[in-house]
Order: sequence, then structure tokens, then C-alpha cells
Amino acid sequence: MDIMSTFVGLSSVLTGFAQDILAPRLDTTNIKNLYLQSWTENIAQETGDANLVNTILQQYAELQAAGKSDEEIGEQLMNGNNSSAFVLACQKLIFLWYMGAWPDVNAQPGTETGGVTTSSLLSAESYTSGLVWQVMQAHPMGDSNYRYGYWAEQPPALSDYTGN
Amino acid sequence: MTNTSKYDVVIVGSGISGAIVAYQLGLAGKKVLILESGPTVPADRSGYMETFYKANAKTPESPYPPATQGAVPSSANNPLGLPNPAGENIPRYTVLQVGAWQKKDQCYFDYPSQVEGIDGTSLNANFAFASSYERLGGGTTWHWLGTCLRLFPEDFKMKTLYGQGEDWPGGDAFYQSLVPFYETAAKEIGVSGDKAAMEKLYRQFYVNPEGIYGSDYNFPMPGIDQTLQDELYAGITDMTYEGNPVYVTPTPQGRNSRPDERRQCAGNTNCIPICPIQAKYDATVTLARAEQTDNVEIRYQHVACNIRLDDKQQVCGIDYLTYDQPNGIATGSGTAVAERYVLAAHAIETPKLLLMSNKNPGFENGVANSSDQVGRNLMDHVMYLGWGLAKDPIFPYRGPLSTSGIESLRDGAFRKDRSAYRIEIGNEGWQWAADDPGTTLADFVFGQNNSQLNGNSKNQQGEELRFNPQLPAFSKLFGKQLVNTLNGVYTRQLRLGYLIEQLPDPENRVQLSTTLKDNLGLPRPHVTYRLASDYERKAFVSAKELTTELFAKVGATEYTKDPGAPVFSGKPEELTATNFQYKDDKGVTHNFRFYGAGHIVGTYRMGDNKATSVLNSRQQSWDHDNLYMVGSGVFPTIATGNPTLTIAALAFQAAGHILEDLNS
Repeated sequence: MDIMSTFVGLSSVLTGFAQDILAPRLDTTNIKNLYLQSWTENIAQETGDANLVNTILQQYAELQAAGKSDEEIGEQLMNGNNSSAFVLACQKLIFLWYMGAWPDVNAQPGTETGGVTTSSLLSAESYTSGLVWQVMQAHPMGDSNYRYGYWAEQPPALSDYTGN
Repeated sequence: MTNTSKYDVVIVGSGISGAIVAYQLGLAGKKVLILESGPTVPADRSGYMETFYKANAKTPESPYPPATQGAVPSSANNPLGLPNPAGENIPRYTVLQVGAWQKKDQCYFDYPSQVEGIDGTSLNANFAFASSYERLGGGTTWHWLGTCLRLFPEDFKMKTLYGQGEDWPGGDAFYQSLVPFYETAAKEIGVSGDKAAMEKLYRQFYVNPEGIYGSDYNFPMPGIDQTLQDELYAGITDMTYEGNPVYVTPTPQGRNSRPDERRQCAGNTNCIPICPIQAKYDATVTLARAEQTDNVEIRYQHVACNIRLDDKQQVCGIDYLTYDQPNGIATGSGTAVAERYVLAAHAIETPKLLLMSNKNPGFENGVANSSDQVGRNLMDHVMYLGWGLAKDPIFPYRGPLSTSGIESLRDGAFRKDRSAYRIEIGNEGWQWAADDPGTTLADFVFGQNNSQLNGNSKNQQGEELRFNPQLPAFSKLFGKQLVNTLNGVYTRQLRLGYLIEQLPDPENRVQLSTTLKDNLGLPRPHVTYRLASDYERKAFVSAKELTTELFAKVGATEYTKDPGAPVFSGKPEELTATNFQYKDDKGVTHNFRFYGAGHIVGTYRMGDNKATSVLNSRQQSWDHDNLYMVGSGVFPTIATGNPTLTIAALAFQAAGHILEDLNS
């Protein structure tokens, strides 16, 4: 499996969106490239561990090769014996796919809010590619392909948006 | 000095009011010059769209030049990278500056320091003004919402009926004179509206429908389809509040429900800050019509900086500076000369220009300012936001940003005692209220609770707010559970916004900063803004109470967050900008934060009396016969509806007066 296929598989498990939604066959935006690059660089810079991203991808590939289900893989990655840096890197990847923005997490355990998160968009395309607009069965604000009056009707089923 | 005396009229500003006056005068064969401080209307809006897409904070100003964020590297003192207004030729106030209101290198307005030693309920507290405007071709209608409500006759008689605020000059008679212009304005904007719904409302407030609409009148286009959220509230049929029935009215709005000269609305849910397809009217439409008369010339990047008077107290020229680059040096100067002059630079820049023009003998306090009212009575609709989660999905984040409201509470005997308001039903989920979708997402990915959905929060009625009681507090979700949780939250989000009428207060005012300048060397506005009476504050208590009732009525859970007590002293970054407290008659102290409606009103008001107003009821300066002013600055009160339709109607009316004078 090449690194991009592994990355898309991992992203699918973490986000809950199907691989062919994250990486459609005709992928003109190719946002996955930007995300892999951004995730790799930011995690290396933030953790000082240039190998962490590879460790995560490798663990995913092994679990996948062992025939585990998406649920089992997700549990292993996020609730298994991995380090907090490993888990946080996975969480940041989820956030990146949903918002198209790189998060800055300021955790304050024990407070009422548990901390605050700010974020910075990668690009115009990453804004409109955010999964957050799909999970709400809507469209990116400012970028609708729907027609007049669609808002008076129920949207298509959630599964049409997530591919699952 | 440029010889420009071939013009009949010079207009400062190319927003909706300037564009309408220019269009009407151009149609009548008059030669018009418009001076616009900002850049030209772009051939298409894709550049603005790109800027909007990339902006981290999707504020009303985010698509438009000059850059509102990320202009300088982020730092602890300037996390958003706000540009320094001292280095800009046409800086303007932005929503992002509200939080930086005490930072003079980030905020265009010069504010007084907070009053020392006051408590949270003090009527003397200074606040940041919460609304913004644009300086570019087409003006602030680029980022307007599109709401096209008429004001009510009662709005024009506040002093007579309730002993509050001011009457509009002429009261009822003035209102009736405006009715035909309301129709003209609706036609120019291209309003989509439901006539039957409006007649129901007008009957409630004794606005005789026959007096409002001719029998053959209808809106230019049918009403915009209602959202599923609108339908939820439309189910309220048996509720009253303080003597008024509570019911939903579909909003007449300046966006196409049918394809016409412009496209049909496609529900981009982005009216503010920018409609990507111009289904929403903006003043560039009228500006183009004005230019097509062949009698109107627009000069962009021409910053009016001084008004000259002759020895007969008539305006004899408007001086301007030109520039090429937004941060570059002035490249030239000149004087625009005509028979008549119109100021249409919105309610901050217009008084600033009048006050800057202080070199004329006998008018050392500024042009048109013998009353000392120029810049005073700055008003906005101070907004209360309430938000909640519906029992069942209503699928927000779809359709225009607002398609209906509750208009039935806009007048009543209570107006003696507290502000009236209209309620806007927001289709943007918790985007405005809680900075969603990002807040809820971060909460469920990183185990935080800023949305109150993922912790141990309770609302003010004591209800537990954790979205899924089966999950522990501060859950960190992924995969299908994350999908289902986010979907469950986002598809149920409700938002109500109360547009609370602020009374005119002479101490709420725009003056010239004595210390701060822009890059052209022009003084920046010094703004003093307070809620100096309990009249508005009582309306916040009412709004809070009614929000809880409305959410209970539709079976929703309320998530309106207590904004906390105001911070009036300490480090500049800790000072709150728009927070206050109010102690009600039961002795309960409420915390509030007000938001801006974008309605900047009142700073060069009309009136019957030369001593207490800047303009007569013809929107003509009392002091200088050949000077007129248009826009929301002319409003004596802010009233209970969004101002743009009234701005447009008044501009048509003023154009008629200017033509009368030119032809006499």
C-alpha cells in the first residue's frame, strides 16, 4: 500500500467518512495531498518527533492488513496503548479534515471548558472541502451547488454525505 | 485646482443612498460627480470570494479591501494580525476591532478609556461600538443581510406617544409622504415579499393596508421560501407577550426569488459577508444604472477631506485627496465644484467630514453644525442573541441567513418603559452565537466544552446540557460516533436575534480624534458609546425571558450562554467591550453582552427645529441651502426595523427635493 492510500484509509477510520468521499476517483481539488503534507510537517514541528506520523500510518497499515474492522482499528489507535502525542496527532488530523484548518489546542484540564482551540485555515479550497459542511447535511457557507428553495425541504440522507 | 464646475451635483459616497440620488438625478439629465474614497467595483467578485474563503474569521468585512486580518504577523498583543489604521489611506472600523477597542494601533476608532471605579450596572460605562461599514464602490450593502422591512407610523411618533426619544419631523404626515417612496425603493432593490403576511402585520398596528398598498400593488417578486426552522416557529399560534400576539412573519428581502436581471437565490447562506452570485441586491446594481444614464461620473480613490463655504454660507467646493496604493502616499488633490452637494458617506464618515471642515469663518465647529448635533445621537440596534437545540432536526446552515422574524412585538404600551424590538430568526445555526461549526467540532474532537454540549454545563433553567447523557463529560470522539454526534447537534441548532431599539443620546457621538490619524493625515473618529439609560437594558431582560418562553414553546433546549460579568478595569486585553449588567426589579442581576446589528444611525439627524437637528425634513442642511445629506445618519430614531429600505426610500425622496431645487 502506498503512503497516500494508507493516509486515506487512516483518515476514513478517524473521520467516519468513506474513503471515496475523502479521495474521490476524480479528485480535482486533491485536498488529501495538502492535508498529508500539512499534517506531517506540523506534527513533526510540534512534537519534535519527525517519525510520529510514520508510526501512526504504520500502525494503521498493520491493523488493516490483519483484517480488523474500522471500529476495531479506531479503538486500537485512539483508546489502545498509544502515547498521548500519538492520540493528539490523530485528533488534529480529524480536525483538519473537518475544518480545513490546523488547530492550536490549549488544553486546560479541570476547568469548565477543558480549554480552548483556535485554528488557521490552510487555503480557500480547504475551507470549502471541510467535512463539517457535509456532516451537517448542508454546504460550505458561500459555496452552494443547490438550487432555489432547497432549504424548504429535508436534505438527502446523512449517508449520502458521508458515504457510509 | 481641478475645474470641475461642469457638474450640477457632487455626491460623496457610492453606497445605496448616494447611488440612488445619482441615478435619479442622472435620469433627469443632471450632471453628477460621485467621489468614492474606496476602490472601484471589481469586474467580478471572484477576488472578494477568494479573500473570504481564506479568512479565518468570516466577519462582515472579511472579503473586502483593505485586509481586515492577517495583515501583520500574529503576536500575543495582536493575535488576529489586525492592520495598523495609521498606515492605511482608507481604514474602516471592523467587527474584529471591537475586542481590540482600547488598542490604538489596531482599532480605527479612538475610544475614551473606561471610566474608573464603576460597577457592572453603571450607566456611565463606555462600550465599543459593535457595528461596522465598508469604504468601497457600492458601500456597505456588499455585506448587508437584505432585510427590507418598512418602519411603522408609531416609530415616527415615539416622543408624542411614549415620551421617549424623538418624533420624526412631521410624524404621521412624514410617514405617509414616505409610503410611495417605500414602493419605489422596493422596486429598485427588487424585494421578494409576501403581501398577505405583511398586511396581517400592518392590521395589528393599525397601519391601514389601503394606505400602505394600492389595491394593485404587490412586491416585485413573490416571497422567499421559508426554511424548516421558520416552519417550527410558525407553529406558534396561541401565544401572547405583553399584550401582543406572537407570530412569525416571512421577511420581505432584497434577494431574487425568481430569475430576473440577477440570478435567483441559491441559498449560499452567506448573505453576510458576501453573496457569491449577486442574487442579493447590492448598491453596485444602482450604481451601474446611474452610470448608464451617461450623466453620472464616479471617481474612485478620491477621499473627500474638506468642505468649503463661500461668504454666503453656501458650499462652494469639496476638497479631496487621491492615492494609488492603499498604504501609499497621497498622489494628488483637487476640489470638486457643483451647484448642489450631497453627503452620502454613511453615519461615521459623513460627520467626520463635516467636523474636519472647520476652517470656514463662522463654522469653526464644522460645516452644517450650528446646532452642535453633527456626530451626536449615534445609535445601533443593540442585539441580544439567544440560541438552542430543537427537539428534531431543522437543518440550519441552509438557505438565506434569515427568512423570517417575529415583527408582532415592535410596538405597544411597554414602549414608555423599555425598548421595542423585532426578532430575527437566524438560519446560520450557532455560527454567530457560538462561532460554530468550529467550536462544537473542537469540543468533541479534543474533549472540550465551549459549546456546553460536552461537559457538565446547565442552562439558566437548570437543565443539563450534555448532548448525549450516555457519554462521559469531555468525550473525545472519532469515526461514526463523531459523525452522529456532530450531525445531531448541527442539524438542530436554533438562533434568535433581538434588534433592540436604542434611544438617541447626545453623548453617544463621533468626534475627531485629537491624537490619531490615518495614512493621509486625516483625523480618525473619536467615538463615545454608552447605554446610558435603563430603557434599553430592560429590553434585554425581556428578550432573555421571551427567548426561554419561545424555546419552551417549540420544545427546544436553551443553550444561551451567560457572558459573564463585565471587566471594566485591568489590562487592556482583559477589558470587555460590550458586556454589562442589569439589576431587575426582583433584585436579580443579569449579565449581558450586546452585539451590533450593523445599523449605524443618527449622526446628522433631521428635525423640525434648526437648534436641535442638522437637516430639515427635506434632508437639506439648515445652515447651507445647497447641501443635502442622505443615509441612515438622517434618522432621528433607529426605530424597530432594519434601516436599509428606509434609507433607500429617503434617498429617493431627497433626490426629488434636490431636483426641485435645481429646477427652481
